[in-house]
Amino acid sequence: MTDVSLQQLSRRFGDNVAVRELNLDIASGEMVAFLGPSGCGKTTTLRMITGLLQPSSGDVLFNGKSVVDIPTERRGAVMVFQKHLLFPTMNVAQNVGFGLKMAGVDKKEINRRVTEILELVELPELETRKAHELSGGQQQRVALARALVVKPQVLLLDEPLANLDANLRITMRQLIRDIQSEMGITAIFVTHDQEEAVMLADRVALMFDGVLQQVGEPDAFYQRPRTTRVAQFFRNSNLLPGVKTGTMVETEVGPIELDDHVSADDGPVVLTVRPEEVRIADSSSAATNVVPAVIKSVIYMGTHTQLIADIGGSSWSVQAPATMTSEEGARIEFQLPKKHLWIVEDDSVSAAEEVAAS
Amino acid sequence: MSEPITMQRVKERLKIPLMLGPAVAVIVLLFGGGLLVGLGQSLGYFPAIGLTEFSFDAYRSVLTDPNFLRSLWLTFRIALVATVLSSVLAVGFALVLRQKFGGSRLATFLFQIPIPVPHLVAASGIILLITQSGLIARFGAAAGLMEVPADFPALVFDKAGIAIILTFLWKEVPFVGLVVLAVLQSVGPQYEEQARTLGANARQRFFNVLLPLIMPGIMSTSIIIFAFTFANYEIPLLLGVRFPSTLPVVAFRQYQDPDLGLRPEAMAISIVLAVVAILLLIAYRRLARYAVK
Amino acid sequence: MTTDTKPSEAEATPQPYVDLTDKDSAGTRWVRRIAVTSIVVFIGLPMVTLIVWSFAFRWNFPNMLPTEWGGKAWAYVADDSSRVFEGLWNSTKLAFLVTLMAIIVGLPASRALGQHEFRGKSTIEWLLMMPIIVPALVATMGIHQIFIRLRLTETLFGVALVHLIPAIPYFVLVMASVFANYGTALEETARTLGANKIRVFRYVTFPAISSGLLVASMFTFLISWGQYVTTLLIGGGSFVTLPLVLFPFLSGANHANAAAISLVFVAPAVIVLIMTSRQLGRDSSVMGGFGKI
Repeated sequence: MTDVSLQQLSRRFGDNVAVRELNLDIASGEMVAFLGPSGCGKTTTLRMITGLLQPSSGDVLFNGKSVVDIPTERRGAVMVFQKHLLFPTMNVAQNVGFGLKMAGVDKKEINRRVTEILELVELPELETRKAHELSGGQQQRVALARALVVKPQVLLLDEPLANLDANLRITMRQLIRDIQSEMGITAIFVTHDQEEAVMLADRVALMFDGVLQQVGEPDAFYQRPRTTRVAQFFRNSNLLPGVKTGTMVETEVGPIELDDHVSADDGPVVLTVRPEEVRIADSSSAATNVVPAVIKSVIYMGTHTQLIADIGGSSWSVQAPATMTSEEGARIEFQLPKKHLWIVEDDSVSAAEEVAAS
Repeated sequence: MSEPITMQRVKERLKIPLMLGPAVAVIVLLFGGGLLVGLGQSLGYFPAIGLTEFSFDAYRSVLTDPNFLRSLWLTFRIALVATVLSSVLAVGFALVLRQKFGGSRLATFLFQIPIPVPHLVAASGIILLITQSGLIARFGAAAGLMEVPADFPALVFDKAGIAIILTFLWKEVPFVGLVVLAVLQSVGPQYEEQARTLGANARQRFFNVLLPLIMPGIMSTSIIIFAFTFANYEIPLLLGVRFPSTLPVVAFRQYQDPDLGLRPEAMAISIVLAVVAILLLIAYRRLARYAVK
Repeated sequence: MTTDTKPSEAEATPQPYVDLTDKDSAGTRWVRRIAVTSIVVFIGLPMVTLIVWSFAFRWNFPNMLPTEWGGKAWAYVADDSSRVFEGLWNSTKLAFLVTLMAIIVGLPASRALGQHEFRGKSTIEWLLMMPIIVPALVATMGIHQIFIRLRLTETLFGVALVHLIPAIPYFVLVMASVFANYGTALEETARTLGANKIRVFRYVTFPAISSGLLVASMFTFLISWGQYVTTLLIGGGSFVTLPLVLFPFLSGANHANAAAISLVFVAPAVIVLIMTSRQLGRDSSVMGGFGKI
């Protein structure tokens, strides 16, 4: 049982800051996802936890003790890489037993535990195969088994599912989740896929440009994004600027009423509602928060129809029923449900540019 | 059902043979032809001097000569020592040179210098360094370790073939080193990192992970080097004792003898040399494959 | 939407394996220091000794430096009677001819072996590798006999043909690896875009293989450049190349002359290395070819 604490963790490569003053506490047995686009510093963070990379400053603690001076091989932080990296000169059993052999465990015990763990990852009877004789999913499972068999203090997964096809990813997610909670291992994984992060992790840590943006349980990123970029990363680019007074926000398209739980200072704000929460207003719907819009495009998506519409000069995306028919240029009214309205901090690039220009 | 023969299909069929043809022809006609003539002469077929009857006389006289075995042993020993030492040293240097450090590019460039230097020039430099009045002996004298050249051990024209081996090492360590470096680059650091997080220390990473990965490359180069040093003529001629000489030296001496009657023996020695080399290399490959399994 | 969910997207941050800001352990630094020092000493010392000796007029034991300096050895090199320039000219012509022949014969074969699968491929590979695995002495002596009949001895072309034998395997090893590494996808794309075969070669294939070709040509050039025994035999002593000029001096007493001629012999080779050094270190498929026998 190990808890992990990252304190003011930073890493520079020359002038480039890959990770900046990152603070995060991970509880024992917890599964945390580092999420972010390419180059955001999430893999760098993972490598610092393993010790493959030294921090430029800051500290990594396991169970309250600093581990930065402990070399990787004695840290007990086992990494599963994006590419399975099964040793090509060894068969499956030798690969899985590698860590135990390094630790000097005797042969019988190695065999017993290898068999056991291969059953756990649902890969019995493949001990004598070589890595290249396995399918992609099997290879990644062997890599997982190889990491689990040494009972790591911390299990680190670097985009472990990125090379697998869609269906395999789903089964592998389930497998990883089940085994992790069964063994009670503290696990940290890195992904750029927000669905994967949400499905697998107890908590998600979102990073942009080497800086931690928001940490929390998965639903927070959908319901309560901190900034416009966070919202956009979770596929919500519905933004409407306005000026807040109390629970009312005055916008281009009229006044919008907020729920009490939304707390923000009065003044200029940016409102948002997720595409799947926006309603199409009809005679039966409530009269509050109804805004006029102009349809810009209608895209049939199978399970639903996606509308792109202009609301007060901002482009919004709305999920409508699949049966919905409409056409470009049509006028429509949307209702923005009070309980799904949220205020985000505007950190979009265009806003920053405007500030710089003025 | 046979498909219709079209120009396109004929072209497609002939493409590979046409691409390989010239190179294969050079090797088969020149190398193969030379081998065949040599084999014929070793068996006593030498019409130019009136020998047309096949016999094993040349082989009999070569193989029963006690000096032949001494020469064979010397040739083998020099080639083996040169090959093993080059491979081991080359792996060591490659492991250092793959790291990035201040001056690593310059060190890599220096390491490459022997690659284009002809063996004879290498021998020339080594002679000036390690003869009894060579530069190293002078260092020894300056340090007060010795007084006259005779105090310095005889490293050139010595029975152990030290100068020969040193010359080969000077030439071949960088060659093998660069090949190992190329293999290391294509393997990348990832397997070692994986092994590291699984708890393998530096020694375990080298023997369990890295060495098996670079072994095929080392095998290939050691075959090239063994075959080369085993058959080299000019270096042992230049730096070795006159007796016993290595087999290529003996064979060539016989071949150039004004007495054409010695030609079959020269050819027989060369054939035996070639056969021994091939047998050793086959055995080596078998052994290495077995060891890998 | 700004989200990127392509599953194959890899982390784009540069991840240097050994970053300069990462402190290496004291042990690593010591090993590195020893390795770099040995590279400088063992590789540099013989070459430096040659340079100093070539300017030495009097340099007796136990002096660490010549007691009298002079350009006498270089004057000898420049003199027609030394035949150094004749040897240099012949060696150069020969090496270029051999390289050209190796490219013509070897390039299509390398491509076939590197990019195509066909029946009997491994047999052809072994066949083409024969000259560097089977000691070439017997074949050379056999070819000598054939060439005497064909009146090819003592000619530039005859000697070039014999040099071509060891050149082909090295050339093919490097180029097959380069072709295999580069694959056929780019060429096929160019063909679908309407480029004809000549244009595909000119704009796609050649730029992709050029650095590998440079290294392969360098090896071929150097193989011819360093040949001694084959030139001696087929050239019959009347076709003089640099190694033939140098050889007698190596066992003689005039070290200054030996050193000066050695330096003439090595200079063009070092120029070639400087030209190709970047390729040697950069493209791992080039040197890696030697690891694939």
